[in-house]
Amino acid sequence: MITIKAKPVTKGVAEGEAIVSRMPISFTGGMDPNTGKIREPGHDLEGKSVAGKILVFPTGKGSTTGSWQFYAAFKRGCAPKGILNLRAEGVVAVSAIITDTPMVHEPERDFLEIIKTGDFVRINADEGYVEIHQK
Amino acid sequence: MQLCEDHVRILEGSKGQGAQKAMEILVAYGKCYEAERMIPITSVHIAGNFPVLMDEGVEWLENLAGDGTRVRVFTTKNPEMYDSEQADEFRIPDFYRVRQKRIHEALKSLGVTLTYSCHHYLVGNVPRFGDHIAWASSGSQVFANSVIGARSNRDGDHVALAAAIVGAIPEWGLHIQENRKGQMLIDVGRLDLQSYDPSDFKALGWHLGKQVGARIPVFINLPPGLDIESIKGLLYSLTVTGATGLVHLVGITPEASCLEQAFQGNPPASPDLEPTQADVHAAFREISSASDEKVDLVIFGCPQCSIQEVQEIAAMLEGKRLHPETQLWICTSAWVKLLSQRMGLLDTLKSAGAKMVADVGAADGPHLYLKEQGIRVIAINSARGSYYAHNLFGMETWFGSTRECVQSALSGRWEGKR
Repeated sequence: MITIKAKPVTKGVAEGEAIVSRMPISFTGGMDPNTGKIREPGHDLEGKSVAGKILVFPTGKGSTTGSWQFYAAFKRGCAPKGILNLRAEGVVAVSAIITDTPMVHEPERDFLEIIKTGDFVRINADEGYVEIHQK
Repeated sequence: MQLCEDHVRILEGSKGQGAQKAMEILVAYGKCYEAERMIPITSVHIAGNFPVLMDEGVEWLENLAGDGTRVRVFTTKNPEMYDSEQADEFRIPDFYRVRQKRIHEALKSLGVTLTYSCHHYLVGNVPRFGDHIAWASSGSQVFANSVIGARSNRDGDHVALAAAIVGAIPEWGLHIQENRKGQMLIDVGRLDLQSYDPSDFKALGWHLGKQVGARIPVFINLPPGLDIESIKGLLYSLTVTGATGLVHLVGITPEASCLEQAFQGNPPASPDLEPTQADVHAAFREISSASDEKVDLVIFGCPQCSIQEVQEIAAMLEGKRLHPETQLWICTSAWVKLLSQRMGLLDTLKSAGAKMVADVGAADGPHLYLKEQGIRVIAINSARGSYYAHNLFGMETWFGSTRECVQSALSGRWEGKR
């Protein structure tokens, strides 16, 4: 198990299977709120669902309406359970805030180099760390 | 983060649940970015309409407005889904009318100024240089920072609305002078910019956004007399493929009169990026998502057309008729529609078979019901509009210049780059 310290964006604890992207994500246009699938052509998660997963990606991008789409996905049970970002971006941060989704950012070590899709990850946003159980 | 007594009382719920919710959002947001204090703001703009809000978002908005909560700061609103004056003509389904009406009533109750425009800076929401503001809508936010020199972060709607209700926002990011310094140098001197029209600048912005990401780019070798449509084209595309909030256009941006000022001292010795014409060509191909050359709809107005753009399109359509199987829509604000009517431009457009739609933007609102009416392939002069029409609504899109789009509306087939 690897433990990495990171700064909390919200509160709470979430655990589950990681899904990792090396590309920024836009929740408006980039994610289908009815399925949680990433639908941006050419995205490294295109066609894959982030629903119920711990979503690990560098940062947000695109439309600032993304927090509405994330909120709708959350209410439909299709949002990720937790979010790990290298650097929180306003739209992703507020998405986590309004849905009480545990989220951390600015890790002491680069998540993207360590976590692989399918690893079991626990986010502790109360104390500011992430536990990684590699598959 | 330090809160004043007023803000503490709001957080404790003394000003109602809506204000309390707003304060909770701002406190969490401020903590995330380690803001030390809240600062007053002078202007707010919010973005979402039904296609992005969905039913859950409409309920969220109604809950916020439910106990009489009101904004304390001048707040304008981005476009809605349809022009209420043309709801019957465009066969807008009741499903959407009911939802747009609910959003309208919630915003009215909150005290939002119902501009339904994404060129709100052309219709009354004009901050001053150095003002702290909260503008959602990634395109207008980057416009405010880069052209007006007001200071806004990439706040989503929830934060912008919360800030409007509280009248203040956590001080972090682009509100702080030292965070506004350039982070990468882009030299566009290898491009033949004199031959560029706004669509070329949009393709350039699309290409560069991917490499810029969330950094603050500094552009050099742009023509000093660059027109506002080209500037908007470049900036609005940069925020589709990237997440930049501020772009220094040296010689244009108020706080970037020279390279040294843009970087607040020490500019890099050589550029980080030097885009080539091949990059811009490739972007054109990438932005278009269609393969069928028959065009169902040509749509302008992402962002909403200015009166100058309406004049340009009307001049191209003067005395001509659209192809019988192709529609042409000009999406704009109610103000520009009124001006167009007064100036006779609307008559010219109508004679050609074109439609002008107020309170709507070409990126999002109308596609939901247009799709239901059999519109499948669209032509658009906006890279941003192409991205959202395709990814949000599954439209097949062609991207090109205004002239290429107008020609396609006349012939019924795509006449631009492939």
